[in-house]
Amino acid sequence: MKYSYNWLREISGTKLSPEDLIQGITMHALEIEGVEKVGSDFENFVVGEILEISKHPNADKLQLTKVNVGPSLPTSLPEGERGDGKDIILDIVCGAKNISVGDKVPVALVGAKLPANGMEIKAAEIRGEKSFGMLCAQDELGLGSDHAGILLLDKNLKVGTPLKKVLGENDQILEIKVLPDRAHDAVSHVGLAREVAALTGDKIEYDYDSLKLGKKKTVSLKVSIENQNLSSRYIAAKLDNVKIEKSPQWIAQRLEKCGIRSINNVVDVTNYVMLELGQPMHAFDFAQISKDGTAEIIVRSAKENEEITVLDGSVKKMSADDIVIANKQGVLAIAGVMGGKNSGVNNDTTSIVLEAAAFNSTAIRKTKNKFALQTDAAMRFEKGLDPNLAEKAMVRAIEILTHITDAKLDGLVDKYPNPVKPWTIKLELAYVNSLLGENVPAKVSQEILSSLGFEGKKVGKDLTVTVPTFRLDVLTQEDLIEEIGRVYGYDKIAPTAQLVSIKPPVINEQRTFVRKVKDVLVGQGFSEVYNYAFYSQKDSENARLQNFKHLELEAPGNLEQTILRVSLIPNLLKNVSENLKFNKELHLFETGKVFLPGENVLPTEKNMLCGVVVLENKASKKNGQSTLQQTAFFQAKAFAADLLLQLGITDHYFATFEEGFEQISKSFCHEGRASEIRITGSNDAVGCLAEINPTVLADFDINSRVVFFEFEMKGLQAVSTAEREFKAIAKFPNVLRDVSMVVSDGRRIDEILSLIQTEGGDLIVDVDLFDIFDFADGTSSYAFHVIFNAEDRTLTTQEADSVMEKIISKLESELKVQIRK
Amino acid sequence: MLKEKIEKIKEAALVAVENAKTVEEVLQLEIQFLGRKSEFVGILRQLKDVSPEEKKEVGQLANAVKVEIQTLLDQKKKNLASTFDAAAEKIDVTVPAVKLRRGHLHPLTQIQNEIEDIFTSMGFEIADGPEVEDEFHNFDALNMPKDHPARDMQDTFWLRSQTSADKTQTKADNRQNDTEEKKGERILLRTHTSNVQIRYMETHEPPFRIIAPGRIYRNEAGDSTHEHTFHQFEALVVGDDINVGNFKFVAQQFFSKFFKKDIQIRIRPSFFPFTEPSFEFDISCTVCGGKGCSACKNAGWLEIGGAGMVNQNVFVAAGYPRNKYQGFAWGFGVERLAMMKYKISDIRLFHSGDLRFIKQF
Repeated sequence: MKYSYNWLREISGTKLSPEDLIQGITMHALEIEGVEKVGSDFENFVVGEILEISKHPNADKLQLTKVNVGPSLPTSLPEGERGDGKDIILDIVCGAKNISVGDKVPVALVGAKLPANGMEIKAAEIRGEKSFGMLCAQDELGLGSDHAGILLLDKNLKVGTPLKKVLGENDQILEIKVLPDRAHDAVSHVGLAREVAALTGDKIEYDYDSLKLGKKKTVSLKVSIENQNLSSRYIAAKLDNVKIEKSPQWIAQRLEKCGIRSINNVVDVTNYVMLELGQPMHAFDFAQISKDGTAEIIVRSAKENEEITVLDGSVKKMSADDIVIANKQGVLAIAGVMGGKNSGVNNDTTSIVLEAAAFNSTAIRKTKNKFALQTDAAMRFEKGLDPNLAEKAMVRAIEILTHITDAKLDGLVDKYPNPVKPWTIKLELAYVNSLLGENVPAKVSQEILSSLGFEGKKVGKDLTVTVPTFRLDVLTQEDLIEEIGRVYGYDKIAPTAQLVSIKPPVINEQRTFVRKVKDVLVGQGFSEVYNYAFYSQKDSENARLQNFKHLELEAPGNLEQTILRVSLIPNLLKNVSENLKFNKELHLFETGKVFLPGENVLPTEKNMLCGVVVLENKASKKNGQSTLQQTAFFQAKAFAADLLLQLGITDHYFATFEEGFEQISKSFCHEGRASEIRITGSNDAVGCLAEINPTVLADFDINSRVVFFEFEMKGLQAVSTAEREFKAIAKFPNVLRDVSMVVSDGRRIDEILSLIQTEGGDLIVDVDLFDIFDFADGTSSYAFHVIFNAEDRTLTTQEADSVMEKIISKLESELKVQIRK
Repeated sequence: MLKEKIEKIKEAALVAVENAKTVEEVLQLEIQFLGRKSEFVGILRQLKDVSPEEKKEVGQLANAVKVEIQTLLDQKKKNLASTFDAAAEKIDVTVPAVKLRRGHLHPLTQIQNEIEDIFTSMGFEIADGPEVEDEFHNFDALNMPKDHPARDMQDTFWLRSQTSADKTQTKADNRQNDTEEKKGERILLRTHTSNVQIRYMETHEPPFRIIAPGRIYRNEAGDSTHEHTFHQFEALVVGDDINVGNFKFVAQQFFSKFFKKDIQIRIRPSFFPFTEPSFEFDISCTVCGGKGCSACKNAGWLEIGGAGMVNQNVFVAAGYPRNKYQGFAWGFGVERLAMMKYKISDIRLFHSGDLRFIKQF
């Protein structure tokens, strides 16, 4: 809400400057989001009357005017031109076309500075015609954004009146977003003024708390509330002899400053009271809602599909959840949200019914949201209002209306079967100090509470605090402690170390593990990306994931992000696509959660690690020398294997696709280039390594091949044994033998390796593939180093050779390879 | 006779080795003088034909000479091997090296690691919780019952219930029917890490101090300072007599460590349903220290996050007796700290996946 500093000062009687008041509110009450200076002292601005208008001889768009500015004596005018008590007539060149002879307009005299931009008005010659001032538009006066034409003033104003008297003095507008706890009372000038007064010990000058309704009855009004649950209080007052016209300047100005458009005197008064006290009000045209001289107001639930045309012209179809104000003939207004188009005041209205009520906040909130009607009234009612406020508001509205117009109160009805009374809270003073960590003297606590409208009686070591009904938010001791703490000043509370046990904290092993994984990958040259947890339906189709159940957003912010990821790959592929515009090779990884819907209310969340590798395809075969190991697949395999080793997972192997493959990743992988990563002796895979299916890549607009590896963090952590055991360093020399063989297509290297290992037994410490050569006929040559060692002796040549012979004969007989000799 | 021959060979060898210019030459000389087919070895073979006395005398000499020549050869080899022609081997040291590929941790990871390390050093445990959460843990237990206006403070990504995902319900219907759904059955993307508070307290007894870092989601339109996905850090300290002063102390210690300078904490009244009293907290400007500069828009303070004393309703929801414990909770955005630290102007860069951004860190 927007608050006027001048208005706050008037109510609170504070002497604080705007700056000090802003600081005080910020530190002790509410957060101020913005401050705007409006208006000006309007020095050297006066009301002028247009006497003549004529065409500018040299400019089509300009006019020459003669303006009577009264017997003003602006100091800026030269001595001889001051007029000596007679009216001064000035020549002023003007561009606007909305003026006519006899109009009263704001005139900036020579020497005036425009509030909007600080420009000083000087005597000038415009296209050969002299001009001694300027006629002003609203925006030039710093009063708004209207630049459509010259601001036309009330024709009854006297020429020469200082503009300050007409447009009011300068002010500062504070923009404050009141949070839900204070929405019951602080969204009003009185509410904020109460805070201001509490800060400085000033008293609110106007005694709002004693505003009491009169008992004047009228036969013309009847009110019934169908159900107490809909409305705890409804006050209606009938005023006669009403003449609808423009509001006085002081009301219109205050409304405009606070961002509410001035409409007419009746509507403006209801809004004025709302800004002042926080109670939304409504005015009905008695003629429209009465029958045979009586208005019978019914507060009830709407009927199913009941319709109303509201003020903004739209038709709302309601249900039993909505509360309406009706008479026997039909619906007059959506209670607390918006009035009906045909029941409100119009220019012919002569009698009105004013409404001040309290409605069920939850119902208002639902209705407001359903119809998206963010009215000032609804936004107040949905937070809940004190029913006692309705009375003050009604008194105040009648008071103002009868003051500014000739309206007369005919009588009123107040339905309030269960009046809300102040409640009490027992406040332990020791708890105040214990929670704040500060010794606030009992007397200070009492004074603070009293300044805010509470009453605290000392009972032993406690206070019995009576809470005023407008503080709906204060229900517990802690609520009171907050009141004391903030007014006392949080700044006075010293930072204090707490006493704690020196027990070291439990380490979060999962996070430690994730960190380790990330460090290894970064060490390998991978860069980490963060992606959204969402992607689109299209993304899931592009990654062939559409058959997996995804969690869906109820109301997605945009169509790119509608479902929760079940795999990190779709968004990583988008990263690849974008980054390939600036890079030829990529090494990216992400860790993050995927969300797998299942039987439970909450989905299974798995923390995944996914790395992707893209290489520039520059390797070319030279003389049949195989480049397979230089491809992205094998580079990724090297990284994955190294990661596992660094995590202490030594007994892993890369199984073939045929042996089984993780279901989700299977969807987007290249079947001929996919491997599952397993641990010896365990049935479950810890991860996978695969090339992305080229058709998937095409759908993501990627021209390079992409290889990924993927692990589930928890599974990986379970097999990771960071502990290592020392093995004695070999005491005796290695014996090295090489074996080279030609194999036909289809024979896998792991079969050869495992045969060599099995046959060699403990004597073989390592087998290294060191050369692959591809022949034109489709066969390949593999060459291995076989390294022998024995723990307890120097191996003889004969021993190694005899093992090699065994291996070779098995290779030939079982795997049908052709040994090259 | 043999003795003379040996002496002669020795003389020749000494001269030859002395004059050798390359390692290859030395190796050649080794073969020539001591190899299997060398004259010297030939002489040794003849020893079997001479008298035992001569054999002994010549044998000793031959051995001594062999050792001498071998030593000389070895010495020469070593000398030659360690000499080189610097001029001939000169290279252009200004040729650029091959660029090594370097990996980069995401800036948010780096910031989160720093934060975790500071809190861990202060004895805090790190707690985790789910990102898809039920209504109870995200809202109800945090004193934000259904239809409470406070829920409007956090625009929520609601998820279609998994159990009703197959029904052909429109979104609007889903919202309307929320009263019919059982307590806590609606699911959502957590709007804060405060759900972890509840989950931790459900299984732990005070006193404790924890942090709950993690990813959170708000259903709001993005711009350079707003994102629907971001990271929050939350601290929760609960004990018998934890107070506002303790909060100020921990916050001051943390931010002073994080920014590596003395930081002052300022707290202002605010409202959060899960704390009472509630605060906004500011830190003294990390650039000017509070004097006022462009970074803090001359305020001297930077808005950082929210905090407060845990609302007793929250303790009750987590299963603790009312008014038995006191505690503070506070949270702040990781992105905001990263943006301050690295002077990043657009929050959307963090989730852009753009390596031109990530590789700067």
